[in-house]
Amino acid sequence: MKTKAGKKIFIYVVMIGITLVTVGPFMYTLFIALKAPSQGIYDGLLPTDPTITNFIDAFNKANFGTFLWNTIIVTGIAVPLNILFSSLAGYALSRIEFKGRGIVLTIIISTMTVPFQLYMAPLFQIAGDLGLRNTHLGLTVLQISTAFGIYFMRQAFLNIPKELEESAYLDGANRFQVWFKVAMPLVKPTIISLAIYTFTFTWGDYLWPLINTTESSMYTLSIGLAQMSQNFDGGNLKLISAASILTTIPSLLIFIWLQKHFISGVTEGAVKG
Amino acid sequence: MSKTSFTQTKRKMIRHLTPWLFLLPSIIVLMTFLIIPIIEAFRWSVLDYKIIADTSEFVGLDNFKEIFSDDMFWKAFVNTILFVVIVLPMNIFLPMILAVLVNQKLRTVGLFRVLYYVPVVTPIVVTALMWKMLYSQESLLSTLIVKLGIVDSPINFLTNSTTALIAVAFITAWKGLGYYMIMYLANLQSIPNQLYESASIDGANGIQQFTKITMPMLTPSITLVSVLTIVNGLKVFEEIALTTNGGPAGATTTLVMYIYDKFVNLDVSIASAAGIVLLALAIIGSLIQMKLTSKREDDLRA
Repeated sequence: MKTKAGKKIFIYVVMIGITLVTVGPFMYTLFIALKAPSQGIYDGLLPTDPTITNFIDAFNKANFGTFLWNTIIVTGIAVPLNILFSSLAGYALSRIEFKGRGIVLTIIISTMTVPFQLYMAPLFQIAGDLGLRNTHLGLTVLQISTAFGIYFMRQAFLNIPKELEESAYLDGANRFQVWFKVAMPLVKPTIISLAIYTFTFTWGDYLWPLINTTESSMYTLSIGLAQMSQNFDGGNLKLISAASILTTIPSLLIFIWLQKHFISGVTEGAVKG
Repeated sequence: MSKTSFTQTKRKMIRHLTPWLFLLPSIIVLMTFLIIPIIEAFRWSVLDYKIIADTSEFVGLDNFKEIFSDDMFWKAFVNTILFVVIVLPMNIFLPMILAVLVNQKLRTVGLFRVLYYVPVVTPIVVTALMWKMLYSQESLLSTLIVKLGIVDSPINFLTNSTTALIAVAFITAWKGLGYYMIMYLANLQSIPNQLYESASIDGANGIQQFTKITMPMLTPSITLVSVLTIVNGLKVFEEIALTTNGGPAGATTTLVMYIYDKFVNLDVSIASAAGIVLLALAIIGSLIQMKLTSKREDDLRA
């Protein structure tokens, strides 16, 4: 009995130790963000005289509000469109028999190994030709339908029992109705997982906004933050820390809100993958 | 009579058309923003393409010859492979340990899963900036490392050319901990409990159970984690661009940094050629890894 309790304590010590590794950097950054002007950035761990000035300055001095708004719009376009388009395509590729299905699926899966950096220059040119430079829509082009999303949704649809759909067809429903009313509700965990993936990717995307955005009024949070940090060794580290915390909070909140569904959704996808 | 055959053909047409209607939005998007750009990159790699003037000239394999005779390219090439080699064991083993820990029957296990996943949902720019501060000579981490006796005097691992690549690889591994943990977790939960029960009846201890049952049963997710690590590791950009920017003295210049540099200088044909090398690496790496693990799976079956 004694060794069992000892083992439990040991496990907890290890798990809390790992938590310090995964969450510690945020606490450290948060403490720096809360430090007053009188305290040095690396002076002591805790803020001696905590202040929220740095957070307010992020909005007032660093144009954080504009960056936040741009990021919200871009993410707001990308997440619903990726779910809609990927689930439509994923459904056809799993539940409808048709000529050419194999080849379409093969092409989509093989594009997943292609690094973005290979085609970013041509994409840059195409986006320019289509008038998508410095636009919100232009920043979403990588996320409004994704090979990963299609594959992920397809794997989920494959698990739906055929009988459920067949009874709907007998009731006179067409393919689109069956997709929307029968299949979609059954893959809710996967939809939520895809929503989180799309959200985190779009919210934090850096390279594509960096090359497709030249006007600072169109910067997303990632670009704004990176620009701010260009003079990293200057005195703005507290401001950068505050902006970093603010940038992370929406991602964290959405994840915490949806994580229950998320973990089970990932579980299904990963086993198949 | 003719009317029924007409509706029949119409119905048949709709049936043939339906799947393509489902696929249409994705086909348009992926064609425009993925497939065509990829084909263009291949085309540009054999051209001397001037992106601003929109003029081009066929040069065959000259772009490849040029990068293959560029010392910086080879440095980037070696750094990229080194980076993946450093990250790979960290990504395979650390998340595995985490998954085993959060797979236990403890009441608080859900909380720890969430806490371990936090780095994954953190924007990469934030991750890079946070670690840049943590690696600073004056930071708590540096003080701690000196106190532990690992180094004599505080150093910044990012600005030291022997440690910079490892320091950056550590950031990547940190960010992936939770992501790969979930993959292992899914796999762990599919291992039948009876295996452990009969093993403990036979007197196997915890460590023996881990090496003889858990590890072999995790082979499918080890493959998955490895392939993803290779494909993602080859693409690493932000962690480097925002911490060391390829330095010191090119110590962290990877292929992607090289490609980005060429792109910024509008050498898009050279960038495309280097991009194709990157793609080739991704394919070769994944194939080798899949071959290795499928052999391991065969051995297990035998």
